[in-house]
Amino acid sequence: MDKHLVSPNPHVHADVSSDSLMRDVIIALLPAIVVSVVFYGWSELLVLAVSALSCVLLEYAIARWLMKDIRLFSGSSALVTGLLLAMNLPATTPWWVVFIGALVAIGVAKMSFGGLGQNVFNPAITGRVFLLVSFPTYMTHWEIPGGLWGADAVTGATPLGAIKEGLLQGASVQDIMSAGGYSYGQMLFANLGGSAGEISAIALLVGFVYLLVRRVIKPHITLSIWATVFVFAGIMWLINPARFTDPVFNLLTGGMILGSCFMATDYVTSPMSNKGGIIFGVGIGLIAMLIRYFGSYPEGVSFAILLMNAAVPLINRFCHQKKYGRA
Amino acid sequence: MTQTIIWTIVIISVLGLLLALVLFFIAKKFKVEEDPRIDEVEKVMPGANCGGCGFAGCRAFADAAVKAADLDSQFCPVGGNEVMKKVAAILGHEVKEKAPMVAVVRCNGSCENRPRTNSYDGYPSCKVKAALYSGDTGCSFGCLGCGDCVAACQFGALSMDPVTGLPVVDETKCTACGSCVKACPRHIIELRNIGTTPKNQRRVYVACSNKEKGGIARKACKAACIGCGKCAKVCKFDAITVADNLCYIDYAKCKACGQCFFECPTGAIHVAGFTPKKVEPKPAPAPAAPAAPAAEPVKKEVNNG
Amino acid sequence: MAKTTFRIGGVHPDDAKLSRGCTIEVLPLPQTVYVSMAQHLGAPAKPVVAVGDEVKAGQLIAEAGGFISANVHSPVSGKVKSIAPRKDIAGNNFMHVEITVDGDEWAEGIDLSDTLVTEIPEDRAAILDRIKACGVVGLGGATFPTHVKLNPAPGSVAECLIINGAECEPYLTSDFRIMVERPKEIVVGAAIMQKVLGGCRCVIGIEENKPEALESMSKAVAELGYKGIEVLSLKKKYPQGGEKQLIDAVMRRQVGSGGLPISVGAVVQNVATSLAVYEAVQKNKPLVTNVMTITGDCLSVEKQHNYLFRIGMPLSYIAEYAGGVPEGAAKIISGGPMMGRAVSNMDACTVKGSSSLLYLSEGSTKRNVPGNCIRCGRCADACPMGLEPFLLYKLAKVGDMDQLEANAVQDCISCGCCSFSCPAFLPLLDQINIVKGQVIGILKARAAAAKAAAAK
Repeated sequence: MDKHLVSPNPHVHADVSSDSLMRDVIIALLPAIVVSVVFYGWSELLVLAVSALSCVLLEYAIARWLMKDIRLFSGSSALVTGLLLAMNLPATTPWWVVFIGALVAIGVAKMSFGGLGQNVFNPAITGRVFLLVSFPTYMTHWEIPGGLWGADAVTGATPLGAIKEGLLQGASVQDIMSAGGYSYGQMLFANLGGSAGEISAIALLVGFVYLLVRRVIKPHITLSIWATVFVFAGIMWLINPARFTDPVFNLLTGGMILGSCFMATDYVTSPMSNKGGIIFGVGIGLIAMLIRYFGSYPEGVSFAILLMNAAVPLINRFCHQKKYGRA
Repeated sequence: MTQTIIWTIVIISVLGLLLALVLFFIAKKFKVEEDPRIDEVEKVMPGANCGGCGFAGCRAFADAAVKAADLDSQFCPVGGNEVMKKVAAILGHEVKEKAPMVAVVRCNGSCENRPRTNSYDGYPSCKVKAALYSGDTGCSFGCLGCGDCVAACQFGALSMDPVTGLPVVDETKCTACGSCVKACPRHIIELRNIGTTPKNQRRVYVACSNKEKGGIARKACKAACIGCGKCAKVCKFDAITVADNLCYIDYAKCKACGQCFFECPTGAIHVAGFTPKKVEPKPAPAPAAPAAPAAEPVKKEVNNG
Repeated sequence: MAKTTFRIGGVHPDDAKLSRGCTIEVLPLPQTVYVSMAQHLGAPAKPVVAVGDEVKAGQLIAEAGGFISANVHSPVSGKVKSIAPRKDIAGNNFMHVEITVDGDEWAEGIDLSDTLVTEIPEDRAAILDRIKACGVVGLGGATFPTHVKLNPAPGSVAECLIINGAECEPYLTSDFRIMVERPKEIVVGAAIMQKVLGGCRCVIGIEENKPEALESMSKAVAELGYKGIEVLSLKKKYPQGGEKQLIDAVMRRQVGSGGLPISVGAVVQNVATSLAVYEAVQKNKPLVTNVMTITGDCLSVEKQHNYLFRIGMPLSYIAEYAGGVPEGAAKIISGGPMMGRAVSNMDACTVKGSSSLLYLSEGSTKRNVPGNCIRCGRCADACPMGLEPFLLYKLAKVGDMDQLEANAVQDCISCGCCSFSCPAFLPLLDQINIVKGQVIGILKARAAAAKAAAAK
């Protein structure tokens, strides 16, 4: 090379890129995906494939033909959105509903704001919430795990749904729990009705630990959500165990693990600073629990994350890193 | 049922009326008295908000113009004399006519003339580049080629020529607002007079800013002004000065005879608006594509360094 | 030994100390040297020789051009051929004294022997004068005149002298080699500076990835037995060698924005400076030599070197002597890969602060195409000053100087951690550097205006 390069410092770069980070997130999701496919069978695989494929293709199409700037296309990030969206849907969701969810996630929540890095709301959650309010029949139609080769798929309610239903009919939490036969072991190891992301807490936690070890995400947001949920649910449960579910149940059921580990920690829609992350997490934990206990929906993690997403610019404005030599 | 409807209508109407009253009084109380002439002046301004006049925008210019005692210190380079006349008419001031100007790039260091010795790999901005080093070529005065001027121009009058790597001024679009002059960290863009009629649009200028001694300048760029002073000698009108190894042609004195253009050994002098004819008894000149005289630059010039 | 490091930010670039095993070799003299008059921070030196003068090595050829400036001495014996502008590594013109070399005869009164002199002169002012006369400047990068730094303004007290042996930049090994090969001289130099500062504590900070240096320096400290000097092992983290970061690591104190280290009682000097102080005070030898590393990822191990060079040697001459610029070198850097400057002109000459010729291959140095900011906050986590580069970058693009100032862009130390760690490959520092200069300009103008108003 006879013409040498000249540039400002630094002259080297860390071994990390946006794509490598997204790849790590996909790797972290794999255990949960495998478990869900094993338990829900081919229909789950179909949902995953349709969602991932339509997210990537839609992002490409929008960047290429609508925004006319192919640099806005980021395949790896679209793939993550697609997988996360699929993991928020029941395995029985018809393909066209999945596609509409992808369209809302990519088209409305992400690209209309200007693409990667510009969106205010988490695309996957926006897609899921859109489907939840538009197609409640499909979105609350859960299938008790029949397995990849299993024959008899029975429909049923999620633990959270069963409790909401039961409480409305005047039963106490303990009655419902024993009637449903729910145990912590089941919640940890994939045996309850729910979407792919709700099925196995342990598989999701493995992925979460992987992300922490690879330093892809910081633990602040996740831990503050857990702490808030635990403390808030603990207080309520101590006050009235017949009316309110216990803290461990709340941590392990529904979208809590998926939401706190993978959705709330999304770079783009979470605060930049550690302090901001903690405030963000506390907000999500509180709102999620308020919805679960007092709202009309059995589950509130998605709504909580979306609401706190809207608060992120404000949090960023007031929470800064500790600066060197300044008070 | 009927009663409900009636009540609804009554309540909504009363509420609307009350709020309208509140709004009316607030608007009245907080009304800002403003000279109506500011609006009038603003209307005749070009509305580009380019800042070429030195004010934040056209509104700020209008505001200052209305408050000022005369218009001597203000000029809208974009609208030119036309707009200034209108402004003066509104405000009842006299206006001094200013000669129209155009941006001129004083660098001829095209890729061909100025061999690259390095390649830049940082943020594509002349400012960043200028702060870092003297540029990709041996010339530390010439164009850096990242197009800060193009980005600064709000009128689309500047573009980078992909072949030469230099900015090109579209004189029909240039309004001489001076944004590019400010944007260029090397200060190679200058606003120069341009005549109003086709005849006096003849112009001659030195397309180089290199202040280094001839030998060094020439080594870095084939088309550099080496400050040899030949042009100054041949000029009958005393329009050319040599300082810091660099020639400068004074528009006011230049009669655009074009003799310096032929004399320059490196082709650093450019002409615009006409084809110069050599008046010496020597054989007929080469047809004048501006770069032609640089064709035989091997003549070993005596540099004054 | 207690391991410590600075508390905010930092990154862990690949160490790549490829030339750590290469002992220091002496470079032969070229035929001509070009000595720059601007090889220190502050005003350029003023030449005191004329064209045609015969000079000896170590003879003063230019004197300090202001309060913050330094003397320059001839590195060789020979004849002054010209005093003219010449391009530095970035292609910018500076005054250089050109000397045709005819030998290596040193001026009188300079002790060239290897014997260690451990007796420290008593007179503080005399030591300072000697350091000033010998043109010693900080060799850690900033080349700030050492005598100015060692003579804090009245009223400020130095509590701790920190000798910087962190060498946190990847690839560089020159400081490491002198710590291994000349530890005693460094310790004596440190003791001299300790004395000048009034006998404060002295800590020699060395990163743990240099166990040989830690060992040899600890041994030298123990053998020489000066009071109050200790060796501190630091956890490896970039930019540990940054003045403010090192103070935080060693003293757990932070220098306020715009403040000097002395405001928290610290004085930081590089190990190479310590060696130069030793040579100046004990041997009366002016600063005309230093050690530089020839290294890079596209250079085979046998071509890696640590050289003792003289100031004024053309880089092209050194590169040629070391076996030429390697084929695969995409970028040549003077200094480390994080903060060094890219060389655009190999005809430029070595200066007091030269520390390396680093050849990086295209694979490791060519910048990737910038993408979109994904707001991951890695730049903010990496920034050792606790700034938010993503925000500064955005503000720089719109040119909002007030907000930039409010977000402390002026505190940036240009360490490059932000650009280094950005997964979207954004040129964060490129932009921040430009606006930093503008904001500092605004601050200076404001301070000057306030001073003028106060004087009225």
